[in-house]
Amino acid sequence: MILGGVFWPLVIVGLLVLLPAAASRVLPQLLRFAVLFSLPIAISALLVNLFFYPGAQTVIFRLGPITATAEGLSFAIEILCRIAAISGAVTLFYLTTKPSELVLDLERRGVPARLAFVANASVQTVPAMAERAQVIVAAQRARGLNTEGSVWRRIRGIVPIVGPVMLGSIAEVEERSMTLESRGFTHPGRRDLLWSPPDALWQRLLRWLLVVGLVGVTIAHFVGWL
Amino acid sequence: MLKLSLVSYRYAGTNRLALRDINLELADGEVVGVVGANEAGKTTLCLVASGLAPRSIGGTLGGSVLIDGHATADLQMHELAALVGICFQNPYTQLSQVADTVFEEVAFGAMNLGLDRAEVIRRVNEALAAIGIAELGERDPRRLSGGQMQLVAVAGLLAMRPRHLVLDEPVAQLDPEGRALVADALRRLAAAGTGLLIAEHDTDLLVGLCSRVVVIDNGSIAEVGSADEVLVDPRLEKWGVEPPARVRLARAVAAAGMTAELP
Amino acid sequence: MSDIVCTDLRYDYPGGVRALDRISLTIGQGERVAIVGQNGSGKTTLIRHFNGLLRPTEGAVTVDRWDTRFKPVAALAALVGLAFQDPDKQIFAGSVEAEVSFGPRNLGRRGSELESAVASALAAVGLSGERRTNPYDLGYSRRKLLSIASVLAMNTPVVVLDEPTTGQDARGVRTIEKIVARIAAEGRTVVCVSHDMRFVAESFERVVVMGGARVILDAAPQEVFAQRNWDLLGSTNLGPPYSARAGHELGLGATPTEASLIRALRSGTSA
Repeated sequence: MILGGVFWPLVIVGLLVLLPAAASRVLPQLLRFAVLFSLPIAISALLVNLFFYPGAQTVIFRLGPITATAEGLSFAIEILCRIAAISGAVTLFYLTTKPSELVLDLERRGVPARLAFVANASVQTVPAMAERAQVIVAAQRARGLNTEGSVWRRIRGIVPIVGPVMLGSIAEVEERSMTLESRGFTHPGRRDLLWSPPDALWQRLLRWLLVVGLVGVTIAHFVGWL
Repeated sequence: MLKLSLVSYRYAGTNRLALRDINLELADGEVVGVVGANEAGKTTLCLVASGLAPRSIGGTLGGSVLIDGHATADLQMHELAALVGICFQNPYTQLSQVADTVFEEVAFGAMNLGLDRAEVIRRVNEALAAIGIAELGERDPRRLSGGQMQLVAVAGLLAMRPRHLVLDEPVAQLDPEGRALVADALRRLAAAGTGLLIAEHDTDLLVGLCSRVVVIDNGSIAEVGSADEVLVDPRLEKWGVEPPARVRLARAVAAAGMTAELP
Repeated sequence: MSDIVCTDLRYDYPGGVRALDRISLTIGQGERVAIVGQNGSGKTTLIRHFNGLLRPTEGAVTVDRWDTRFKPVAALAALVGLAFQDPDKQIFAGSVEAEVSFGPRNLGRRGSELESAVASALAAVGLSGERRTNPYDLGYSRRKLLSIASVLAMNTPVVVLDEPTTGQDARGVRTIEKIVARIAAEGRTVVCVSHDMRFVAESFERVVVMGGARVILDAAPQEVFAQRNWDLLGSTNLGPPYSARAGHELGLGATPTEASLIRALRSGTSA
């Protein structure tokens, strides 16, 4: 009874997440990332439902005043499967999609150039900001900022780090926006792109199949089949 | 022809005139240097000459700035971009951040102008060749040296085929290697007939490159003349400008009461 | 006596690239040392070992006989003040005053001791009149002077400056030269990474030339910029200052500075 509800979800996650991940050679990262990502939620979901599932009768074991129930475990496993599916899918997307390619494709399909640019640039800024933050930490440590020690001390140390990161980024924004404007960024209308990611027939078919599948499953659920 | 007539400029939210009564003409293909102390107005002059001030950064502009007869105040920023290109001193902030290769980075401006693909590719190849960085085409622009990044920035401007290039301290943040790279590229551009307005501290860079030099002091033009005349002017130090090495040494030697034929 | 001693220092970046290869040198208290070399020769990596920001992969660095591997950076900062190349990577305060106070405050200075440290640092860089000004209302070159003042105020026995003259106008360079002279007059050690050979020749008594992660020459400007070493300098993308070239052309021998060239002209023999 407990494991019965697990079979199909596992098949689905296996086919739609793990198989493509293996094919793209990102399986180890996916497992590591998805597990780390969902661990806190998974643990709390498991504990809460295992011990505190309302109306449960079948007892598995007792731990002092609290009881672990079979119904609770079954429900917890159901939730864990959903979490696995969601975190797996999101991680797969994140690991296999290059932001610049995604944005170029969006622009090709009609998203305004400036919007596409903002999306692309925001993602690319994150690693640059992280690098910048590292240098800033080093510069402030060289002025005696103590990055070890009590929690209170570390909290106080946030301002001299976050300050230059923010201020520097803002100052950069001004220079960068002047650069963009002087490179014709304000030109209205569409651009003729140099290149966009290829979209093979099988990819399009697969996307349509997934959409149809999603609609089908949703209807089936509400009608009562699933 | 880039023509500034009785130009004055005040930054938004300030009372002080950053530029005052500036009259300057830059003929097609002319290379003019701008020198002066920090905060004397070199950058402001560059921003005004390229139309970024007041169009992009606001502020109040007095007088007129004409590019090929059009007033910059009447043009949209992207129209200005096709006439005048401007390069700044920080190589990093001039990257668009959305290009994975130098080729795409250089194409960025030209693409923004709505040109068709074939034209963009042609222009990019020309620009890369003009600057001499064709072999950097597939590299990640973010992983280049400062000097190389500046070259990419200039190439990106060239691909938009502006009539004039304004450069605000292009080598200030570069090491000697980067400096040499950019100086070479500028010489090549000048020889090919692109009009250049270069604001710089490094007067040694300007020697031999500029036909005329303008000295900005406190927002006004303190002196303008041929490069040979201005760069030996004894008042340069007073204006916060370091004369070229040869001039400086010659002056020290003379002050010590000696003479020498310096190379 | 805060001597800096590097013994067989080796440093590899996480990716495996060797940035420093068997560096052994000693910088004695009160010396004026310039470190020069092309991009990637290891200059910045080396100076970051002086205050413990980087720890050797092999070998050791001691400051005043403290081994940097066993001391936190915050403690070494009391001995070695390091001003980074980009001032915007450290400026965070709303006023010049607050910014300059940060360093000495971290080192435990308070009250009149703090006040006089801040005042004299501001005076040294010419920013005394801008105490309440927001650092970002100053131009880039004055922000750079501010970042140097922030380190001066810490009153450390050793001061390390990374490319202080980059982006400065003539006045700014004079200010930096005066600062170097002043620190040295106080008996403090000055170490400067620079690619301005004229500044190096004029303001420093010792030049450490780096190339390919090693020290390829370590001598006085007279020696380093003499014609016999020009090829060596060229191998790390450096060239001698104009005075040296002019002096050689005129047959005056090694004249790295203006003053030495003039002396040579006077005496009619090499300096």
